[in-house]
Amino acid sequence: MSGGATAKTYTLPVGPVHVALEEPMYFRLDVEGEIVRGVELGAGHVHRGMEALALRRTLFQNIVLTERVCSLCSNSHPYTYCMAVENLAGMTVPERAQVLRVIAEEIKRISSHLFNVAVLAHIIGFKSLFMHVMEVREIMQDIKETVYGNRMDLAANCIGGVRYDLDEELTGYLLHGLDSVRGQVEGVHKIYSSDRMLLRRSRGVGVLGAADARELGVVGPVARGSGLELDVRHNAPYGGYALLGVEPVVERDGDVHSRAMVRLREIFVSIELIRRCVRELPGGPTTVLLPEIPAGEALARSEAPRGELVYFLRTDGTDVPNRLKWRVPSYMNWEALGRMMRDCRVSDIALIVNSIDPCISCTER
Amino acid sequence: MKRNPVLDPGLERELELLALRGGFRSSEDQAGNLFHWFRLGSPGDLPAAARLLAARGARLCTVTAYDPRREHDHPRHEVAYHFDCGGVLVTVTAALDEGEPRVPSIMTEFTNADWNERELAELYGIQVTDRPTPARLFLDESLERGAMDRVIPVSVLMNGASSSTLWERIMGERQDESGSLVVHEEERG
Repeated sequence: MSGGATAKTYTLPVGPVHVALEEPMYFRLDVEGEIVRGVELGAGHVHRGMEALALRRTLFQNIVLTERVCSLCSNSHPYTYCMAVENLAGMTVPERAQVLRVIAEEIKRISSHLFNVAVLAHIIGFKSLFMHVMEVREIMQDIKETVYGNRMDLAANCIGGVRYDLDEELTGYLLHGLDSVRGQVEGVHKIYSSDRMLLRRSRGVGVLGAADARELGVVGPVARGSGLELDVRHNAPYGGYALLGVEPVVERDGDVHSRAMVRLREIFVSIELIRRCVRELPGGPTTVLLPEIPAGEALARSEAPRGELVYFLRTDGTDVPNRLKWRVPSYMNWEALGRMMRDCRVSDIALIVNSIDPCISCTER
Repeated sequence: MKRNPVLDPGLERELELLALRGGFRSSEDQAGNLFHWFRLGSPGDLPAAARLLAARGARLCTVTAYDPRREHDHPRHEVAYHFDCGGVLVTVTAALDEGEPRVPSIMTEFTNADWNERELAELYGIQVTDRPTPARLFLDESLERGAMDRVIPVSVLMNGASSSTLWERIMGERQDESGSLVVHEEERG
C-alpha cells in the first residue's frame, strides 16, 4: 500500500529500545500507510559525559578512557588521541610503530565491516548468511585475541608509539588467518553481489545522492557509497598511511547495497595493507620517550571504520587537558537518515539505519 | 610519496585579513599535513569566515566550545570551528563576550552545523543567534544549560543511589527519626 485515499497518516515511534536497534535511539516517524514521510531523531539515551571526564584525567590516563568510547572502533580513538598529543609536542613516532599502528587499525576495520555486513543479512532474515559472516569475523576476533590479548580493546597505542610488537610466530599466525578470511570474504562478496533476495532488499533502498552527501558532510563508507572520494587515509595521509598509500573504494548508487559493497571491498584493501605492512615492517624502536607536553592546541584525524574521526586537544602546560573534544564519524551521518528514509517503506527502516553503521556510544560520548 | 595538499592562497589571505586582530599561524604533523589556525577579532566575523570557506568547498568537520578558565582565572568561552579544506584542516576560533556568551549560527553556509550548535548551547550555555532556538541534542530539557561548566559528581548525578552519599543519607534519615541512634553506634565503635 502506498498512500492514496485510504491511507492514514500517523506517528510511529521507533526506539529508544526496539528489537531492530542495536543501541538506543528514538525515531519519531510520520507514516502514511506504509510509507515514511518524515523523520525526527531523539538522542541522549547513553550520554555519559566522557568529554567532561577527559578534563579530569591526565594526558596519559586519557589513552585508557578514549579506548572505551566505543568497542567497534576502539583502536581509532586512542590512536587519534595519541596523534593529537604527538602533534602538539612535535614528537617523531618511529616508523616501526607507525606501521604497527596501521596493522592494528586495519584488523579492527575488517572486524567492524564484517559485523555491519552480517547485521544487514540478519535484518533481512537471511540468518544462515548472518551466521556465516559472523563466523568469518570470528577469525579476526581470534587474531585480535592472539596478537593483542583482547578481542575488542587492543590497548595497542601509547603516546609516541605502540605497546605491542610482532615476532615471527605471531606474524605467521596473522598472515595465515588473513588468508583464510580473504578466501571466505571472496565468497561472501559474491553472495552480496548476486543473491536475488539480498539485491531486491538493498538496491535502490535508502538512497543518498552525491549532492545530499556533500551538503550534509557525511563521511566514511556512507560518503564513499554515494560517490564521494572521501577517505582521510587518501586525502590527508597520516602516520603509517603516509608511507603506504591507500586508494579510496567508491560506489556510485548511494543505496544500502552500495554502502555494504564499499565495506566488503575495503576488507580486501585492508588485508593487502596488512600484508604490505608485515612485508615492509621497518626495524627499530616501537616507541619514544614522552617529553613534557607544552601549552597549546592541536588536531589529529584518522579514517576509523565508520569514517573520519577528529580529535582536538588544548593544553595549558599541566598534565590535564584544558579541552579534549572528539568528533566521531557517526555524528556526521545521522542526519542523512532523514534523506535516506524519505518515502521509504516502514519495513526498510532498520535496514537503512544499519546501513550508516551507526554508533550511538560514539555519537553521544 | 603523495604531496601534501596546501590551502588555497587566496582563501588563506582573506582569512588572515579577518584574523588580523586575533592572529594566525600554521602547524604540521609528522606526515606533513598542514593545519591552519585563525583567531577572529570578534565572533561577529564568523559568518564572513564561513562564507569564504563555503565558497571554496570546505566541509565543516566539527565545532569545539571550551572555557579556558585555568588560563584566565575567570569564565570566558571560546568556540573553535574546524573545517576540512581540500585535505587541509582550518580552525577558526572566536573568543566570546564574557557577560553574555553568544555566537552567530553558520547553518546557512553549513547544514551540518545544526547538531554542533545544539550541543555547544546545551553543554556550555552559549547562545546561538540567527537560527531558531536550538533544541536539546543529548541532555534533557529539565537540566540547566552549561553542564560542562559544572562538576557534577556521579553520586549527585545518580541522586545518591550508590557510594558514600547513599550511606550518609540513610544514616542522616535514621538520626532524624530516632534522635541519637547514630551517636550511640559511633560511641560503641
